[in-house]
Amino acid sequence: MFNKMKKGDLVVGSIVLLLIIISFAGVKIYNSLGSGNGKIAVIRQNNIIIKTIDLDKLKESQEIKIDGDFHNTILLENGRIRFEDADCPDLVCVKTGWLDKNGQMAVCLPNKVSVKIEGSDEGLDGVAF
Amino acid sequence: MKNKLTLILLLIFSISLFGCSSQAAPYSPESFYMGTVINQKVYGKNAKKAGDLVIDRMKEIEASMTINTPGGEINPLNDAAGLNPVPVSPSVMFLLNKSKEYGELSQGAFDVTIGPLVKEWGIFTDNPKIPSSDKINELLKLVDYKTLLIDTMNNTAMLPMKGQIVDLGGIAKGYAGNEAIRIYKENEITSGFINLGGNVVVLGTKPDGALWNIGVQNPRDVNGKIIGKLAVKDTAIVSSGDYERFFEKDGVRYHHILDPKTGSPSKSDLIGVTIVVDSTIVTDSSTDGDALSTSVFVLGLDKGRQLVESLKGVNAVFITEDKKVYVTSGLKDKFTFDDESKVYQYVQ
Repeated sequence: MFNKMKKGDLVVGSIVLLLIIISFAGVKIYNSLGSGNGKIAVIRQNNIIIKTIDLDKLKESQEIKIDGDFHNTILLENGRIRFEDADCPDLVCVKTGWLDKNGQMAVCLPNKVSVKIEGSDEGLDGVAF
Repeated sequence: MKNKLTLILLLIFSISLFGCSSQAAPYSPESFYMGTVINQKVYGKNAKKAGDLVIDRMKEIEASMTINTPGGEINPLNDAAGLNPVPVSPSVMFLLNKSKEYGELSQGAFDVTIGPLVKEWGIFTDNPKIPSSDKINELLKLVDYKTLLIDTMNNTAMLPMKGQIVDLGGIAKGYAGNEAIRIYKENEITSGFINLGGNVVVLGTKPDGALWNIGVQNPRDVNGKIIGKLAVKDTAIVSSGDYERFFEKDGVRYHHILDPKTGSPSKSDLIGVTIVVDSTIVTDSSTDGDALSTSVFVLGLDKGRQLVESLKGVNAVFITEDKKVYVTSGLKDKFTFDDESKVYQYVQ
């Protein structure tokens, strides 16, 4: 009886240990993905995500054209992204230039388009400006 | 054997729960109102409902307070300048009163009747221009918040001189921030964040109890580059600076914050100021912060600091033209100087 219990404990114990290790590893991996280690760019129009892309994994440059009340051309290269061209009146989006750091954002208000590199280098929740 | 199987299943179940104990992602919608992009992060079971109600409210505030598109409440008030009083809603009444209060407090550095000059400079248009000094002097006669007549009995307001223009641009976004927090609270949200084009208002702490980390923009670097950060809860953070909106002509920078005394972009010794208002002490933290950031930017470091320090629950980060950073005493333990550009000097 005693021996039998011990064997059972061992089985349960090792499964428990394995599961604990797996769950910890899972959380760890999940966190490292979510905390901005990669340069994930998100392009939104009117709160709808048009494209999500890891800029660091981009091999060759890419252009994305966005329609709406106005038109924007977004240029993506390895590690960076920008509004390349637009026909909106103020061109604030184009003037913002390249985004290459986590947490940076460019916006075309007239066309309701935003480009943001997710996460933050400094662990910031937001920036007041 | 059956017991052991149950035990194992139970353990797997409990561990998988443990594995998922990290916080659920916030509801983070993006919207475009009041001439800016609005980002929210709302946590909790009513997050979606609250976030969407906030977007509806932002749309309402824009519609009622804009002078850039027809309709609303301020356009009729301006159209009736020199003619007759017009009825206004409680929200507009509140902001007109608040604006007069900050006109007094800032000794005219904040003036809600600055409209004629904003229009003449074309500050928020695609074709800004430099008006002649004659034109500026002529329009300055129309700028005086004291002349704005408010009748709280009949809920009406009136501008006595023809050509006068009320512009709530210096306070409406601040008000919108407070309205967002009100809506969060009404929906039992205890952890929320809203950024209205650079005005940040946070409710409570982050869901894990940590303080919110809010960067203070470097006035001379690309967006997202900071000179320091603030660790806060239940706080409104509002910045004003010469970098937010400006145009350059013949090498001179003309920014969007007009000094009501000169009718031209203010020329104080500040290039940026960030007002930090504790919402647990100041009820209308974001509204007050908005009016104050303009006031202090126009007043400059010395007078601005005096004003901030005279108010309970209000603090500020000042950035001067000679690249020095100052904070008021209440921020000593909340502000961390962090200037990657190595251009600024933190004066403690």
